[in-house]
Amino acid sequence: MMLTQTTYWPVTARTGVRRATGLLASLLCILFLTSPVAAKVYIDINAPAATSVPIIVPPFQNSGSQADTQKLSSRMASIISADLDFSGLFRIIDPKLLNESHLRGVTQSQIKWDSLSVVGAEAIVTGIFSISSNRIEVEMRLFDAVQGRFIMGKKYNGTLDEHRQICHRFANEVFRELTGSPGIFETGIAYVMRTGQNKELYYCDYDGGNLRRLTTFDSLTLSPCFSPDASMLAFTSYRAGNPDLYLMDMASKRTEKISSKKGVNISPDWSPDGTRIALTLSLKDGNSEIYTLNVKSRSLERMTEHWATDVSPTWSPDGTQLAFVSSRSGNPQIFALNVANKLVRRVTFSRGNYNTSPAWSPRGDRIVYAGLTDGRFNIHSIRPDGSDYRQLTSGQGNNEDPSWSSDGRYITFSSNRTGRRELYIMRADGTGQKQITFGSGEKFDPTWSSLPKN
Amino acid sequence: MQRTAKTLMVCIFIAALASSMACSKKQTAPNVATGTPELEEADLGAGDFKAIDPNDPVLSAIFKNIPFNYDQFSLTPQACAILDNVAEWMKSNTAKMVLIEGHCDERGTNEYNLALGDRRANSAKTYLMQLGVDAARIYTISYGEERPLAVGSTEAAWAKNRRGEFKLK
Repeated sequence: MMLTQTTYWPVTARTGVRRATGLLASLLCILFLTSPVAAKVYIDINAPAATSVPIIVPPFQNSGSQADTQKLSSRMASIISADLDFSGLFRIIDPKLLNESHLRGVTQSQIKWDSLSVVGAEAIVTGIFSISSNRIEVEMRLFDAVQGRFIMGKKYNGTLDEHRQICHRFANEVFRELTGSPGIFETGIAYVMRTGQNKELYYCDYDGGNLRRLTTFDSLTLSPCFSPDASMLAFTSYRAGNPDLYLMDMASKRTEKISSKKGVNISPDWSPDGTRIALTLSLKDGNSEIYTLNVKSRSLERMTEHWATDVSPTWSPDGTQLAFVSSRSGNPQIFALNVANKLVRRVTFSRGNYNTSPAWSPRGDRIVYAGLTDGRFNIHSIRPDGSDYRQLTSGQGNNEDPSWSSDGRYITFSSNRTGRRELYIMRADGTGQKQITFGSGEKFDPTWSSLPKN
Repeated sequence: MQRTAKTLMVCIFIAALASSMACSKKQTAPNVATGTPELEEADLGAGDFKAIDPNDPVLSAIFKNIPFNYDQFSLTPQACAILDNVAEWMKSNTAKMVLIEGHCDERGTNEYNLALGDRRANSAKTYLMQLGVDAARIYTISYGEERPLAVGSTEAAWAKNRRGEFKLK
């Protein structure tokens, strides 16, 4: 099977893939002079109590003659602020604290440094853009506001529609510049949305922007899961009359059925090396067990053999274990098995008699799951040995389907706390919970794509 | 420690077997995995099966939805009574095939409920087989919590949604 490199691209619904010219062709990115000193790491994001850098992102300046009818000046600044705020590493200083005339400076000589120190900003991002017909050119610069020093800048050129992606890309650059690690601001989330009696797959940016529809099967389609390089999406669909497992190539949007055994073919999870998919099959007797499927050869290996229901596998990032849900102790709890010798150990013990939907962090340090406590589902987090229990959501509706970002720092989940089931994102410690989907239609089962290849 | 754990496991196993054999009729536990995994491809064609016509007095009296208890796939006496009638009819109408759909209420996660719905459908199938209905005439499918009958988060709605539903062709 062809596993093509991702050129994931906004798809206009029902009219197929827009020609994938790729970001590089249409976005011209010119690197300005960076500081001659080697990039200093300002923030150690692995430090236990990382402090946040106060940063201000004033509205962008419009240098062109075409009017900014779409209010891109404030919108682009907001996108970057939201990205940096969500990262947990920055504290956003509201530009409204300063008179607008103090925030027009774009270059080092123009910026009013004294004003910035009055509001406690230690960093600043400035932007200047011009629009002509449906194209936009943007320059963005990052400064150290304590030393009044230019750190780095980029210039982008693209269509007006690409302004969100341009902002996310620059936020990634800021993140990388200050932490040494890549940011997740250009990633996306695929999910299920109920449409009438059916469920279809959709795709949006990690912050909910650029919504696209992926399937029109007029059927029940569930449990999407990205491959590690985000080039493929595995999912279950009833489109052929049975819950079968499919793969979608994200570039071409072509789908292929890869498992259609009798019974269920559900809950796919890709192995970290991309060669296998763990899934649940019930075959002839309706007794759900965990299997792994070799994506190339399609051969199956059985992982569990037990009279109880075993379902919802999730791989450890080193590929040696699978956590899963089993009712073998009477009600659904999280267990883990060693892939080589199939030995099973129990992970969740106390706190609740219905624990399910485990998701193993790509960093290996935590497993999150949805557990019933006091009649509601909440997201909980534990170490893989079951210790250091923490509850991440509380007091608000039912919170389910947790899924990790590929850097293991953020979690997406579904919640009906507003009265309708929507998607949310949060940091791994439960802070920063933010609704990212809106509008009609209940949403479920989010899966977070990995970083795009550059 | 190990021995008590083992004893506990055995007790739970026996309890589970016992609860799955709630009906007075003789039946083996439908939830024990047997032999090597059968890797048959799904041959369902669930689209061909038709819902029971509510205006047909005979069929709608026989093919009532079978109820299930919360998080259970064992057959209650009420379920067995319905299945007894279904088996009788199937044995008199040998050209017909039946599809049993397993459904769950909205509580719990979708994936676990898909698995539970599958077990419910298979419980019913095994029971029919033991009453002499040919396995080749019985199809099963799970819809988990995806196709509720009743809307709402009440005990009444949940009870209606925990069901085995029949279709014929």
